[in-house]
Amino acid sequence: MKSKTNQVIIIYILISLFVAIVSHKILLQYISNEKLPFYTFTKDILFIFFTGIIFKLILSKNDNRNIATFEKIKNSNTEIKESNEKYDIVAKATSDTIWDWKIQDDNFSWNKGIENVFGYKPGEVGNNSTWWFNKIHPEDSIKMSIKLYSFIEQKTEKWQDQYRFKCSDNSYKYVLDRGFLLKDENGKAIRMIGAIQDITKQKEEEQRLKLLETVIIQSKDSIIITEADSIDAKIPNIIYVNPAFSIMSGYESDEIIGRSPDLFNSPNSDVNELEKLLKAIKNKEECLIETISYTKNKDEYWVRFSMIPIFNSDNELSHWISIQRDITEEKKQEKEKEQLIRELTQNNKDLKQFSYITSHNLRAPLSNLTGLLNLIEDIPIENQELKEILSGFNKSTHLLNDTINDLVKVIIIKDNPSIKKEAVLIKEIFENVFSQLNFQIELYRPIIKLDFEKVSIININKAYLESILLNLLTNSIKYKSENRKLKITMTTDQIDDTVVLTFKDNGIGIDLVRNKDKVFGLYQRFHNYPDSKGLGLYLVKSQVETMDGTIDIESEVNKGTTFTLTFKNIQ
Amino acid sequence: MLDQILCVDDDPITLMLCKKVIIKSSFSNEIITSQNGEEALSYFNTIKHINNKNKPIPQPQLIFLDLNMPVMGGWEFLDHFNSQEFAEFSTIKVIVLSSTIDPEDLEKSKQYPMVVDFLSKPISQSMLEYLKNKLK
Repeated sequence: MKSKTNQVIIIYILISLFVAIVSHKILLQYISNEKLPFYTFTKDILFIFFTGIIFKLILSKNDNRNIATFEKIKNSNTEIKESNEKYDIVAKATSDTIWDWKIQDDNFSWNKGIENVFGYKPGEVGNNSTWWFNKIHPEDSIKMSIKLYSFIEQKTEKWQDQYRFKCSDNSYKYVLDRGFLLKDENGKAIRMIGAIQDITKQKEEEQRLKLLETVIIQSKDSIIITEADSIDAKIPNIIYVNPAFSIMSGYESDEIIGRSPDLFNSPNSDVNELEKLLKAIKNKEECLIETISYTKNKDEYWVRFSMIPIFNSDNELSHWISIQRDITEEKKQEKEKEQLIRELTQNNKDLKQFSYITSHNLRAPLSNLTGLLNLIEDIPIENQELKEILSGFNKSTHLLNDTINDLVKVIIIKDNPSIKKEAVLIKEIFENVFSQLNFQIELYRPIIKLDFEKVSIININKAYLESILLNLLTNSIKYKSENRKLKITMTTDQIDDTVVLTFKDNGIGIDLVRNKDKVFGLYQRFHNYPDSKGLGLYLVKSQVETMDGTIDIESEVNKGTTFTLTFKNIQ
Repeated sequence: MLDQILCVDDDPITLMLCKKVIIKSSFSNEIITSQNGEEALSYFNTIKHINNKNKPIPQPQLIFLDLNMPVMGGWEFLDHFNSQEFAEFSTIKVIVLSSTIDPEDLEKSKQYPMVVDFLSKPISQSMLEYLKNKLK
């Protein structure tokens, strides 16, 4: 404005001087001296009018220009105002935090986002770039500043960067910062304005997805994703396969995408299983099949193949995922196992048959011997030697018969895993056993103490319990101590839902330190007795276990033996 | 006392024992023996044949039957004896007398109506006493 005034005055002075000089020259040439005052006066009048008109012209032109300028300023003011309003609205609308950096003065200003997003009160916010840099996570700051300065020096076109920005509570937020430069007429960067977007949520989601993705990428199971719809009643086309699939099938991802998994079918694939799968696909149902598949090289492998339909929020089928596992080895083992079971079952059956036949063939002549000996009993024999021979013959035959009968019992127990149980009176069983051993009991007259007060009735197989008691009692008598009178104690007790039968004697005992593992074994004999067969306790244990019971032994040499039998007493 | 009894067993000692015990217990007047199922069947066929000529001959009232025999075992004999062909002998009772311990044999014997008992060898006087009471 000032220069304009000077301009006008200069122009006015120049024009006035020009007019004054021209008028003076004309006057000197044409006007005589006597009329000089009159002409000078006229000239001055003209001069004033002329310059006045010129002045008016100039001023009015200048005025017009001023008005135009004013209008222009007014307009641009409105624009600025509007733009400011828009900026405020946008700044409010976006969650972005806007910063403004006057680079030369290192003056840095922030919009409200610095408080709203990062929690800094106005007083806490520094007004230079150092404050900004200090808030950037140390791990990100070097990389970030390299990119930023290369942008300010205009080596790069665009600038945007992701880094972690520290909040007022010292936590970090992932941000996306985008900025642009303002340059002076020389193209020098003088100002930079940026917008920081909080992408913590996206970043966390991204990391979560990355984590989830590792499941698919690293999984040893093959994973396929297919389209939702199948074409020509085939399995829908593949849109993704994971690396494990490529390893299993030999197909690389780009060879297989867009094709149907149908091509894995081998001539040996299980047709029924495939039909099951196609039906499930048609019905949009989950399905699991096991079949033989082809690799790319037409090698066969057993695969466990599942198809799971995935529905979107509108309950429309969006795609299928299929998880597959190579179960060739598993199948092989299964087959071997089946074969083994078949063989074992057959072996077991054969052995069982063998034991029945053997026992039959042993028993047949033995029964003849027993029958014949029974007949001899009624025939009086005069010859003393013959009588002795026959007596020995008789004894041996009966011993052989007992052994075979015990063996037969064992065979039958082993062949009958489940047996009939009934409620029996323990006392009654004991009396039965007693009467069978009447001869020995009369002979040795042991002290027998019975206490069946706590439990008098037990749910058990009668014949087995009888056999067990008979065996235990026979053992006690057989292995009694020669130094003291035999004493046998038998008690029952109830512990929770089990019945405990205790059978105790004061006999010669068994050295358990040496024989613990063998006590209940087959053909184990611990004392040098001619008629011991090594079968009794084995039979007892077999019978107890067949009735779901347990038997324990405690024994001390020359003190006695205690057997503890435990049965579940569920009716 | 029974009039006639048939013992079917391949073991001659067993048959000898049977004879002696039966005589001793006065269980039966007459004892006939067969060495296997086929022989026993042919004995019954003979009875049938003679009967057809209207000359009634005594027939066994009881059979002691072994199971394991060559040529024709006890089970096969029972299958034939149970058929229509031998319907006229349906009143004859059978005692299985065996050394078997296979529980399946005992179960199997229950399928034949004429089998009244399943006894374990050897035959003894007490066994015959028991049978006398049972068959009364």
